[in-house]
Amino acid sequence: MTSAYVPGLEGIVASQTGISMVDGQNGRLVYQGYVIADLAEQMSFEEVAFLLWEGRLPTRAELEALSLELAGHRSLTQAATIALDALPMDTDPMDILRSVVSVQGAEHKLEKPSVPLAIRATASFPTILAMFNRRQLGLEPIKSRRELGHAANYLYMLNGKESSPEIVRALNTYLVLLADHGMNASTFAARVIASTESDLISALVGAIGALKGPAHGGAPAAVIEQLELIGTADRAEQWMRDARKRKVKFMGFGHRIYRVYDPRAAILKEMCRRMNPKFYELATRVEEVALQILHEEHPERPQSTNVEFYSAGVLQAIGLPKEFFTPTFAVSRVAGWSAHVLEQAANNRIIRPQSEYIGPEPRKPVPLAERA
Amino acid sequence: MAEFSPGLEGVVAAETAVSEVDGANGRLIYRGGYLIEDLVPVATYEEVAYLLWHGDLPNEKELEALRKQMAGARRLNPSARGTLMAMDAQTDPMDVLRTVVSAQGVAKSLTKPTLDEAIALTAIFPTIVGAAWRRRQGKEPVEPRDDLGHAANLLWMMEGKEPDTERARWVDTYLVLLADHGLNASTFAARVVASTGSDLASCVVGAIAALKGPAHGGATFAARSMLDKIGSAQNAEQWLADAHARHERFSGFGHRVYRTYDPRAKILREMAETAAPDLYKTAARTEEVALKILHEAHPERPNATNVDFWASVVLSGAGIPKELFTTLFATSRVSGWTAHVLESLADLRIIRPASRWIGPQPGKKPLQLAKR
Repeated sequence: MTSAYVPGLEGIVASQTGISMVDGQNGRLVYQGYVIADLAEQMSFEEVAFLLWEGRLPTRAELEALSLELAGHRSLTQAATIALDALPMDTDPMDILRSVVSVQGAEHKLEKPSVPLAIRATASFPTILAMFNRRQLGLEPIKSRRELGHAANYLYMLNGKESSPEIVRALNTYLVLLADHGMNASTFAARVIASTESDLISALVGAIGALKGPAHGGAPAAVIEQLELIGTADRAEQWMRDARKRKVKFMGFGHRIYRVYDPRAAILKEMCRRMNPKFYELATRVEEVALQILHEEHPERPQSTNVEFYSAGVLQAIGLPKEFFTPTFAVSRVAGWSAHVLEQAANNRIIRPQSEYIGPEPRKPVPLAERA
Repeated sequence: MAEFSPGLEGVVAAETAVSEVDGANGRLIYRGGYLIEDLVPVATYEEVAYLLWHGDLPNEKELEALRKQMAGARRLNPSARGTLMAMDAQTDPMDVLRTVVSAQGVAKSLTKPTLDEAIALTAIFPTIVGAAWRRRQGKEPVEPRDDLGHAANLLWMMEGKEPDTERARWVDTYLVLLADHGLNASTFAARVVASTGSDLASCVVGAIAALKGPAHGGATFAARSMLDKIGSAQNAEQWLADAHARHERFSGFGHRVYRTYDPRAKILREMAETAAPDLYKTAARTEEVALKILHEAHPERPNATNVDFWASVVLSGAGIPKELFTTLFATSRVSGWTAHVLESLADLRIIRPASRWIGPQPGKKPLQLAKR
């Protein structure tokens, strides 16, 4: 039996999962049964990664073991280090991540996805990005510090000094909030790849490629750029109404799932208020106007501020360059991607949908010499 | 919400004119409406790639222009070369391909997939595969030859000597036969990545990642490995009966789509007799016995020899080592992947299916670390 074509597979159930659930009606994001608001500012990224991989929160001993494992796998292989240096300095950091994760994870033989491999991959993402950023700035790479947690060490390797506890906490919360989100496009890409019994790194490399697209993870830098164009809160309405006439898209708005305010956006918005008041003042005004205009155009559509809008303000407050916003999304989401790959591998069936042929009816080819 | 169909079996995920698998009638139709068995006698791989990209076969002038463009795009850029040479020589050739294609495709900023990029990516595969093979043998990679066709250049890059025309023709026919096949898992992975607005290299890297799995592109290697274990026509009956008793799957048998003999397998079977006469005898007897055992076990299932079974024999006859089989598959399919990506741009919509929650009831409260 073949079902009718549904563009984008919207509403089509492609997997069963116990990792995360997006309850769009009630504006809830749930990781393994826990509502995101109960995890966001209380758990470390490491605890949440454990939760996604193992299905429960770790005990103190398990958390210590995981932290040690992560800290022990932060170095790049020699091949990855050389490859990183071979790539041009002005490369898109997402292309760096895609390529260097691929080298770092290259194997002699196919290996089945496992939690230890997920830990290794997760540990390597911040190192790749930090080393590349320092190389771009003409600075020496910084060796990781074993006693620092995942978020703190990422910032340390970027900046060469420890960040304040507030900044570390903010990055940690961001990493927790973005770690998984149901069957989004990059996670789905990872599951399609895993469904052929390919390896974990292959699935992650594919997911990075999908996250890069502006319709998925590639938009937070564009939020900052648009806010810079708008300039000040009092200019927002004028600028945005003019922009709309030119069919300019509002960055950071629109999603398919939430009928009410995205619970992650709510948390990030409050963080922006505390940490990035200048951004907050402009962004809240822009949000107000954008929602007003979008509502006028499509009153039937729900409220639509998405997670990228206030992510941009938080990542800016943390001090990340905007080219590193999407790669930092990947630093978080790799936990979810690997959890989904493990879940797919545990109960696998190759994902091979059908297509509907819209080409011409069969006919005979003409030999080369006789073609017009 | 729709029913959950594991593996999206029977779910239409795209409309396409690139190819159609008519399983009921055992037909594979390439873009323009051409049956695969009609194309093989009249078209080389370059012509078929042109067909998949443009919608019709090229005339002599168009073909000449494409050949020139491909020959001019066979050299690795410094990033890709540096990355290739950094990798351990014994790395799985699919991991080399995934990584070096990623490095070759890095860019400063995101660009929309184009036909020129599709041509350049397709042209680079033999260079990477050849270099990976030579490095594995402890040899230096050789420079590509501008005067050779795609298939002949591939053999040149592996062996460093000009192949005889017959072997080049077997490889060429294999490349024609495998260039597209509806919405298989790797093509679907490419379309999922493309659906976020990502770049062509990201799509192709994701597709390589999916093709690597033994349930997809890795099956040709498995088929040849099984024939190696069987060893001779006389051993086939005993070996297969024993394997069946151990509940082992027969490699090279079984597929989801064809109800009749796979038309590609049919062509390859005929070629195999000339290309690899000894291996052909073992394979023919293996097929006969395997089909009998499978039919006795499951009389309701259709005849199940798949393309991987006979491809493994033809590629062996053409002098391709089995360690490279999956990369040869990729070398062919990249034209189909890129054709699908380019086609999808006309009506791009993010592929973001739904998932069904099978985890714990949402809303449980997390325990503090000390209490776990």
